[in-house]
Amino acid sequence: MGKHFQREIERLKKNTLALSTMVEESVQKAVRALTKLDSGLAAEVIDNDYKVNMKEVELEEDCLKILGLHQPVAIDLRFIIAVLKINNDLERIGDLAVNIAERAAFLSKHKKLHVPMDFSGMTREVQSMLRGSLDALVNMDAKSAYEVLLADDRVDAMNREMFIQVQNEIRKNTSEVESLIHLLSASRHLERIADHATNIAEDVIYMIEGEIIRHKAEEYQSDISPDISSDEA
Amino acid sequence: MNQQNNAAFEVESLNAWYGDHHVLKDNDLRIDSKCITALIGPSGCGKSTFIRCFNRMNDFIPNFKLSGKVIFEGQDLYQPQVDPIEVRLRIGLVFQKPNPFPKSIYDNIAYGPRLQGIKDRTKLDSIVESSLKKAAIWDEVKDKLKKSALALSGGQQQRLCIARTLAVEPEVILLDEPCSALDPAATSKIEELIINLKENYTVIIVTHNMQQAGRVSDNTVFFFNGVIVESGETKNIFTKPLKKQTEDYITGRFG
Repeated sequence: MGKHFQREIERLKKNTLALSTMVEESVQKAVRALTKLDSGLAAEVIDNDYKVNMKEVELEEDCLKILGLHQPVAIDLRFIIAVLKINNDLERIGDLAVNIAERAAFLSKHKKLHVPMDFSGMTREVQSMLRGSLDALVNMDAKSAYEVLLADDRVDAMNREMFIQVQNEIRKNTSEVESLIHLLSASRHLERIADHATNIAEDVIYMIEGEIIRHKAEEYQSDISPDISSDEA
Repeated sequence: MNQQNNAAFEVESLNAWYGDHHVLKDNDLRIDSKCITALIGPSGCGKSTFIRCFNRMNDFIPNFKLSGKVIFEGQDLYQPQVDPIEVRLRIGLVFQKPNPFPKSIYDNIAYGPRLQGIKDRTKLDSIVESSLKKAAIWDEVKDKLKKSALALSGGQQQRLCIARTLAVEPEVILLDEPCSALDPAATSKIEELIINLKENYTVIIVTHNMQQAGRVSDNTVFFFNGVIVESGETKNIFTKPLKKQTEDYITGRFG
């Protein structure tokens, strides 16, 4: 496979990065809309989703074309398969950003809630996971991909904590049930974004190492270097 | 390689020279029995020389020199007491370009068995029929067995050559780029045939077509500059090769 094929791969890389930038921006805006209760920003996220969807289709068509015309093998094959799957995750993250924006739009029209939970800590963690998984993709860096996998447990714990706090709040304050449920949904959406970031990290690891590491949490946790594990502890 | 299969060949410290030119450099390899092994690598890397070592076809080349062992079922094929004719009966070779004899289809297939002393007409008829059937060409030629083999298409001629190889009941079939002169339809027929052959034969195939190696073989061996760089299960070589050189070659970054 010659220069023509390499050009196609470069183009695919560029388009994947373009999509990931769009999606990252959507998440950032949705999270800001949620914490600042900014309905204008929320509307922006919702209105822009069609661009993410169109880019996703374009990327998938590019992958299919390259597979059909060039029949790549080894690293090239793994790269295209990873892009196909990451493309899917990115589009779903875009949808979840829209879901968060919808919660933000609802909450901005209602009385401000006072839940003791530090919501911004969770949004920071999720955004850093997303960033980490995309950086791993850009830099072909398995180490930062493994770090993303570890962070997912923290986000899961935060979501469980949020559930308990909302549950307690509902018991105390029945008049705010609807808003509280919206808040819990937003937390759930964030947790789902973290799951998709985890998928992306796993696909990056597959692309680099050729090993499918899904459903093998214990193995990779013992595999990685001690300096990362100590962060987790 | 697949440890469930017995070894058909064990190659040990194999070196080969054409005059001063050192073409194969100290290679060790195990070839699984009843499996298809593909030899890949850029032109001039020694894979054709290597495949010809398995049935002593290089003996015909002046200045050819070999050291090391090619052990076939426990016997080193290069021991002085081994009869090369006998070797070539047990280990058949199909060439890149179809090379039928300028004889009838029937006589092409019956040629080997006749050399082996089979004269009985009924016996020869049955060998011709079963060989052509195994090579998946019987239905196309059964009504014109007396016609010249040279009148067949390229793809048919190649299957005829495979049938001719099968007629002497070999144990191993070596194929040196058997599809390089064929169109995609004929190629696909030969590939299907090769895959069917592995039920009863050990098959070794040299190919320049990466997709073909991926489609038909169980194991793949990558040669570069006369050295085996990497060998292993085809599905691993084509998804996650261990060596950078292998990856660069199969992805077309060099060679």
